[in-house]
Amino acid sequence: MKKHMGKLRIYFAASSIVFLVVLAISPLKDFFREWKLNQYEYNNLIKELPQRVRPVEVGIKQLWIQKLDRIDRCVTCHLGLKEPALKQVRQPFRTHPLIDHDVEEFGCTVCHEGQGPATTYKESVGKVKYWDQPIFPTKFMEASCAKCHKERVVPHAPTLTLGRKLIEEANCVACHNIEGFQKQWTPSLDGIGSKVNRTWLVNWLKNPKAYFAKTRMPNFLLSDEEANILADFLMTFKTFPNEATLDGLPMVLTSRSEAQREKLVELGSTRFREARCISCHPINGKGGYVATDLGTVASKASVRWLYNYIKTPKRFQPGVEMPRYRFSETELAGIVAYIQSEFVDYEMERAESEVAHKPDPAYYEKGLALFKKYNCSGCHELAGMKKAEEMGPDLTFIGSKKLYEIDFGKSGIEQTIPSYLLTKVKDPRVFSASMKMPSYEFTDEEAQAITVALLGNTGERIPEELKVYPKPRSTYSPQGEFGKLVDDLACFGCHTVFGRGRLIATDLSLEASQAQRKWIEGYFKVPYSLRPILTERMPNLFLSDAEIRVLVEYMEKVFLADSLEREIRADQDRIAKGKILYYEKYGCQACHQINLKGGYVGPALDKVGSRLKPGWVFHWLKNPQAFKPESIEPNNKLTNDEAEALTAFLMSLK
Amino acid sequence: MIIEPLRSPGAKLVMVRLLSMVVAILFIGCGGVDPAPQRAPSHQQDTLSTGTLSSYEQRQGKHLYTKYCAVCHGEEGKGDGFNAFNLDPKPRDLTDSKYMTALNDERLIETINEGGRGVNKSPLMPSWGGRLTEEEIRYIVSYLRTLFRSR
Repeated sequence: MKKHMGKLRIYFAASSIVFLVVLAISPLKDFFREWKLNQYEYNNLIKELPQRVRPVEVGIKQLWIQKLDRIDRCVTCHLGLKEPALKQVRQPFRTHPLIDHDVEEFGCTVCHEGQGPATTYKESVGKVKYWDQPIFPTKFMEASCAKCHKERVVPHAPTLTLGRKLIEEANCVACHNIEGFQKQWTPSLDGIGSKVNRTWLVNWLKNPKAYFAKTRMPNFLLSDEEANILADFLMTFKTFPNEATLDGLPMVLTSRSEAQREKLVELGSTRFREARCISCHPINGKGGYVATDLGTVASKASVRWLYNYIKTPKRFQPGVEMPRYRFSETELAGIVAYIQSEFVDYEMERAESEVAHKPDPAYYEKGLALFKKYNCSGCHELAGMKKAEEMGPDLTFIGSKKLYEIDFGKSGIEQTIPSYLLTKVKDPRVFSASMKMPSYEFTDEEAQAITVALLGNTGERIPEELKVYPKPRSTYSPQGEFGKLVDDLACFGCHTVFGRGRLIATDLSLEASQAQRKWIEGYFKVPYSLRPILTERMPNLFLSDAEIRVLVEYMEKVFLADSLEREIRADQDRIAKGKILYYEKYGCQACHQINLKGGYVGPALDKVGSRLKPGWVFHWLKNPQAFKPESIEPNNKLTNDEAEALTAFLMSLK
Repeated sequence: MIIEPLRSPGAKLVMVRLLSMVVAILFIGCGGVDPAPQRAPSHQQDTLSTGTLSSYEQRQGKHLYTKYCAVCHGEEGKGDGFNAFNLDPKPRDLTDSKYMTALNDERLIETINEGGRGVNKSPLMPSWGGRLTEEEIRYIVSYLRTLFRSR
């Protein structure tokens, strides 16, 4: 019996020790939790800093952001977010960069994503099974801004802003639903058969960027056969919109006299330069970027089309933003003759003469099928055809799509939404050869920007008061004779007025408060660039005096604000004081020229006294950004007295 | 608890089994000890758009620098912007590490804020305090710090 008891004691002792060890595991495990170790380390770290930083009380910390329905425990380890002394220390303790949003108001995961309530590193970054929104890599960070910021230009988010601009320009909405974007104007294809050369069209369809490097038309990666069939199909459409017809060419243009021809070309070359065609049209890649390349346009379009189109652009291409220049018939003929003599693709013409083309017998049906397959009518009008229904996937909520809904194919990329979108935008058919999305040949930076803008479409419920919407579209539409002129001259193609138009050139909403009538009239006759560094872009439209009067009289009544009027007394003392302020105190000559001395960042100021109105100069100097928010002119916080003296000095430069 | 002496040869086995079961249950309950805490990977590997700029402030700063400063101080900060040609004295070479390290952040902020005239330098450098916010000036300063470090 005793012997047995002895053995039992040993068992008992052993099992007690095992129990003790086992019981210790749980508290030990608790003691060595990842977040606790981080907090101990934080408390040690701050002791070594020269500044005094409050130590942390050990325990789970969390932010409960009720309005966004988020609970974020990130702050359990990210302890120095609001502590400026911790800028240089290692993560997770580093100070959060300065941003416009307070972490206590917005929390963490609404911007960074990841799993808010998690308390280990691995789980919180969300790279675990069944968590579809892992933490955003830095390069996609700005996508989160898009949840609330719906405006086009988002402050401090350049990538998102670029992405939205590209989505608009590339006309993604032709095939996809994307909230907040509208289809951009694209040329109508009606009458294309009377306009272009078939060989050119085949080349264009195969690779549009070879002809015009900055074209918005993507590459549909068509085979030679497809391109030929589609070209044959398109060439059958010979009637223009609204039944417009091409006028016959004038006699001068068809004349065979060599001497006459030379004179005509010379006149055309002069007018081509004066009209500043290259402000919008590049020539072999050099020049503007708004309109198509003219480098080899004589081999692309027929002479009759060129002549008629330059004469009245909107008749053949309704909605195009090309002004109707007031050329005489001879001048027009001259320009066309000049184009014919200069802008020819000899190689294409030689290749064309060598190959005899035999169309496929069923080209029309096959061409129509291709036209529909690639949703060409998503962008282009042709014989009233409707845009295909639901061409590409709806992208309204693409940012919060579930991973199981996405086919990654055999691509072998990281299986996350951002990497899917980035790959798809860069190389649209990578996931499956049967995909129809064309290639836009975006650069890495552009593809990243588009991905960022798309990722922001999450459909997450955000309280209305946090959202920032773009300004409503302007409904300004001038009527009467002025309205007709503005439409005919396509002013909104470059200028903005009351929120309508583009910002390639200056905003004219306050032009009559800004500039003197006499100067505006002179500018219409001989436009020039106000900044020495810029190439001259405002075209000479060759307006008649009567037309200029219509334009200026309307501007004098509408494009102004009474509040900007101000009498500035200009005596010698004031002018002298202004001169000192200009040269010595504010160093304006760093950016502005007077008599060819000074910098060329801003406009030259010689003769500014004959150009601008004193009230405008005064108000502009006080706060330039009130008029042009994007202007880089410094705001010197001038006193009224200083601004008046500077105005007096500037207005004395006549 | 009264334990009857264990006589049968199987009793020892039963006890060992019982013990190991308890241990196993406890272990499963606790889920094993956590692995050592992982350090967050630095985001510096993210080079697609950010280049060598590691922080948000620097990237914002670069954007602002390009818009406001580069015309005179040059894209790379060498004081060779297109407008530098017109200026006398010439814009400061911001890649001069000896000069730049001697200036603390506060001094740089003051210079950008008040311009040359505010710090007894040439008035050709305008004061940006009215145009840029304090935050934006700080972004620019943190970008300026990368201009000479990268050399």
